[in-house]
Amino acid sequence: MLGLLRSRRKRIAITALLVILSLTSLMVGSLGGVTPGALAAGDKTAWSVLWYSRLPRTAAIILSAAGLSAAGMIMQAISRNKFMSPSTSGTTDAAALGLLLSFVLLNRQPGLVQLLFAFVFALAASALFTTLLSRLKLREAVYIPLVGMMYGGLISSVTTAIAYRFDVMQMMSAIALGSFARLGSFTMVYVVIAPLFFAVLYATRFSIIGLGEDFAKNLGLSYKRVVFTGLVIIALVSASTFVSVGPLPFVGLIIPNMAASFYGDNLKKSIVDLMLFGADFVLVCDILSRLVIYPFEMSVSLTISVAGGAIFMFYLLRRMYVGKKREAA
Amino acid sequence: MIEICGLNQSYDRRGGYTLRDINLTIRERAVTALVGANGAGKSTLLGVIANIVRPLSGTVLLDGEDVRRIKASAAAKKLAFLKQTLRLGIRITVEELAEYGRFPHCGGRPRDADMEKIDDALRYMKLSELRGRYLDELSGGQRQRAFIAMILAQDTPYIFLDEPLNNLDIKHSVEMMKIVKRLVAELGKTVVIVLHDVNFAAAYADRVVAMKDGRIMSEGNPEEMITKDVLDRVFDHDFNIAEHGGRRVCLYY
Repeated sequence: MLGLLRSRRKRIAITALLVILSLTSLMVGSLGGVTPGALAAGDKTAWSVLWYSRLPRTAAIILSAAGLSAAGMIMQAISRNKFMSPSTSGTTDAAALGLLLSFVLLNRQPGLVQLLFAFVFALAASALFTTLLSRLKLREAVYIPLVGMMYGGLISSVTTAIAYRFDVMQMMSAIALGSFARLGSFTMVYVVIAPLFFAVLYATRFSIIGLGEDFAKNLGLSYKRVVFTGLVIIALVSASTFVSVGPLPFVGLIIPNMAASFYGDNLKKSIVDLMLFGADFVLVCDILSRLVIYPFEMSVSLTISVAGGAIFMFYLLRRMYVGKKREAA
Repeated sequence: MIEICGLNQSYDRRGGYTLRDINLTIRERAVTALVGANGAGKSTLLGVIANIVRPLSGTVLLDGEDVRRIKASAAAKKLAFLKQTLRLGIRITVEELAEYGRFPHCGGRPRDADMEKIDDALRYMKLSELRGRYLDELSGGQRQRAFIAMILAQDTPYIFLDEPLNNLDIKHSVEMMKIVKRLVAELGKTVVIVLHDVNFAAAYADRVVAMKDGRIMSEGNPEEMITKDVLDRVFDHDFNIAEHGGRRVCLYY
């Protein structure tokens, strides 16, 4: 009972933080006039800024952060590796390649077509990488993100080559920076809701898969089917967030690690809090990016990388330290 | 009842058989131990019976039904299979593990009845106090008990254990075998267990099946099986059989 109470308290705290941060996010921006006072007075400009810019932006942050956090957690469960995430396994890079190809082959397309391209490439890349990993027997878990980043680098070098050849480098560098300041391209981020629903529904299945194929079979689960479902969720989340806000590095990597150290690896217990917590983290980063060089704003990728990189280093070092200690024992 | 007819299994295509013409009936409400040298095919046979490994030919009948025809989710309510030692890369609590055992019954959303089964399983394995602890914080013996609790929560009449004594010290090995005996005596389970140590099989099994090179060499009660004649043939080794307190003990060192 005590445990239940404590877990309730955690969820309430994370949710309260989310509400406060969301409200802050709605009030902060280069146009200073959006204040509770102005809104109460019925200021038309304030309301339209809120409705057309701030609200969709805040929604995009919450959804993409929640999506990437859940996708990272599922990826880590499936691969049984704490260093896997859409951004360290080539998934994000493949989504970028897909998006670029949709531009090169079909010119400017509606969001749904772009999403489809990004999704197909992301799914193929993550499926290939998972197969590769099951063949390669890497001794140290730490090597896996390195191999993943090399694999991602390979994919993005193809992307760059294509962009160079078709003279769309400029556009490419614009896509490659994550930003919540792209007005009007946020519709696709709402696609994330569907995979998130399935992520919660399938949470126990992903945890069971994490205990191995025989273990899953014993409980009557089809290993391959669950892995494939997971990969579809990951690819859909990566594609829709990439198409609408660009890459958000580290989110899918550190949020699941932080959640695991608080809740353990039972996804059913952690997945909702994990998504809320991911949203909190990205909201803080985005608010900071809007304030640091006010009235201008920085790319949120930069803020996330600085904060996320530090947290990632912490987990990496801790893992190596714990690993050494285990070896010594 | 489990009946195995004409089972063949091979991992390589050039004809090296891992299992060769296996015919066996597993006695209900009893402990059947599979013994034999490394590579004799014990674990493969267990895997085939538990429907984890697909056989090349032959059938396994579970209560008269072909195991391979039974839907995976239905089979998971009839038989539970526990492998040697699971490499634990993930952090879950004892209670969460037991809850996974209910998955075939509740699909990840345990109801009150499922929670009761989980409580019963934990109590039976004396893990109620440790239910909130993470598996990687437990001793080897406690962890093995947690996995048995999961299988109890799964609530299957048939239980297959693949070398459950690996990595357990003597005290915990004996404890584990006593638990296995209780599962049969008190809960009416049918247990098939792969064992390395013949003495454990002699002391705790009701039936002993000895395998060599993918074939069943002989099968019988421990009294029939623990003889110099049988064991020398099965293990290609010179055995001495001693008698202690009316029970036979093998000395092989």
